[in-house]
Amino acid sequence: MTNATAIGAPMKSITTKALVVVVIAAVFALAIALGGRVIAQQIVSGLMLGAIYLTVAVAFTLTIGVLNFLNFTIPSLFMLTGMIAWGLREKGLLGFAGGWAWLVALIAGVVVATAASLVVERFTFRYLKTRHGDATEHAIPLVSSLGFLLIFEHLVILTLGSESQRFSVPFKADIHLFGLVIGAPQLVSLGCALLVVAALTFVLKHTRMGRALRTIAENPEIASLLGVEVTRVVPVLFLLTGLLCGLAAALFTVNYGDVSPFMGDHVGSKAIAAMVLGGIGSIWGAILGGLVVGLTETLSIHFFGGDSVEMIIWGLLLIVIIVRPRGLFGAVAVGKGKL
Amino acid sequence: MSADAMLKVEAVNKSFGGVKVVQDVSFSVARGGRTALIGPNGAGKTTMFNLISGVIGMDSGAITLDEARIDHLPARKRIGVGLSRSFQNIRLMPHLSVVENILLGQHSRIGGLGELFAPIGWISSAPARAEAMRRLSEAGVDVDPDAPVAGLPYGTRKRIEVVRALMSQPRLLILDEPAAGLNPRETADLSTFLKSATADGLTLLVVEHDMAFVHGLCDHTVVLNFGRLIYDGPTAGVRDDAAVREAYLGARAATVGGAGRAA
Repeated sequence: MTNATAIGAPMKSITTKALVVVVIAAVFALAIALGGRVIAQQIVSGLMLGAIYLTVAVAFTLTIGVLNFLNFTIPSLFMLTGMIAWGLREKGLLGFAGGWAWLVALIAGVVVATAASLVVERFTFRYLKTRHGDATEHAIPLVSSLGFLLIFEHLVILTLGSESQRFSVPFKADIHLFGLVIGAPQLVSLGCALLVVAALTFVLKHTRMGRALRTIAENPEIASLLGVEVTRVVPVLFLLTGLLCGLAAALFTVNYGDVSPFMGDHVGSKAIAAMVLGGIGSIWGAILGGLVVGLTETLSIHFFGGDSVEMIIWGLLLIVIIVRPRGLFGAVAVGKGKL
Repeated sequence: MSADAMLKVEAVNKSFGGVKVVQDVSFSVARGGRTALIGPNGAGKTTMFNLISGVIGMDSGAITLDEARIDHLPARKRIGVGLSRSFQNIRLMPHLSVVENILLGQHSRIGGLGELFAPIGWISSAPARAEAMRRLSEAGVDVDPDAPVAGLPYGTRKRIEVVRALMSQPRLLILDEPAAGLNPRETADLSTFLKSATADGLTLLVVEHDMAFVHGLCDHTVVLNFGRLIYDGPTAGVRDDAAVREAYLGARAATVGGAGRAA
């Protein structure tokens, strides 16, 4: 690489990214112009749904960006938050919290999901990876995380049943703005999700922890020889994964009021689509991908009915992969220098 | 001399699949001195470097740093006891900026979680960043500190790697062929820089091919040949030592003879 391209590359990628955002915004602006208030309402709902997807997509992209493996436990961490929260209320364990039981339940759910994520780190990543080394580098964490997904799901089914359940919150605050109905919890979700992701970006860029994570993404062996304590830094990544999934699940539960042992599968698959769409290993790509998937979902339901959603989202993904294999925001070398 | 030895290698043996690569080697590196470890190709000097840095384990013997055994420490823990290294093939993080790469050297000095999350990249006056910038200018590296290292010239990257190694504030700096791939001018600059970097008492051990570089930089030299120690003394005496001359000339003769037979 010459000096000229090294300096020129970021400029070029910024303009490309800006162009992508402008094009997408223009498409939806056009939709609003043509479709009026009904479409505008769908777009608002789509953005809110997208906020959930993007939070989970960031969890996926962070693990892939740093450790180069697809963490399959993410959907089950999402599910654990919702089901634990419901279970605690259902079993009457939160009587002490009174009117705030829903909040205490959700916080407990997030704590359990985060703890579960740390267990996964201990037993998929650290133990198995250090034992089996490079030959099985990506397969071992991937397969064992898939194992944890099934174990967590079935633990929940065994203890709390396989039914879908209602999780009600004692408020219903809709904001009416320009004739559009915006759920207050939905607005809070979007704000929370973006705030968390912005904080995460800051940590990655400006702190020693962030630098350690980016170094591990580039070369874990050399990072470790240089004194980056991989065994101390990697758990932080899993902690963040648990928190992101827990937060997304808490917002999802408050917004939609439904929990089930399979709630993570749906959101997880959409989040993976969002991540690939945005560019694997790119945080801003995951954000954009999440919003696009959310919007595509609500608009597909509006125009073609609920059964069309999966086909349209995955069809869109395949087209993007063919036209731009690295995703909308992805760089050329997957997993390196992305975060 | 062993009284003020910082690093001591005692009766170290290492074989790979029955081939004895290092045999009963003992030497020491004087505190505050600049020592070279040289030898013809296949002499076992890279193996010796890897044993000291901990990348591979030895079969028997002892390696001590300031009288404390370090040979049982995994490689990643050795930087924590004051042993910092460079790599033969540059191992910088290509997508990180110059200053970030240098700050990596400081990770072994990080104490608690608070330090891990302090937004030092955001505060341009952070002491760690100031230290990185100072060391960078001392090394005579004149580049944009926030540019990625990927596009920089080889000699500059090589020097950045040494600066990174210095950031851990080591007791002993070990360099793996620091002059390899450098042009004569860059080699001379590196030598000057290493002299000034070790002027405050830092102990240096270099594994090197370039004899002129070694003569200009190191006061003490250890020579290996076929895994055995054949010389341990002042650098000035290396060229006149019969065993060393035979090793270099003999090795060359053997190579030529081998190639002739193969052809």
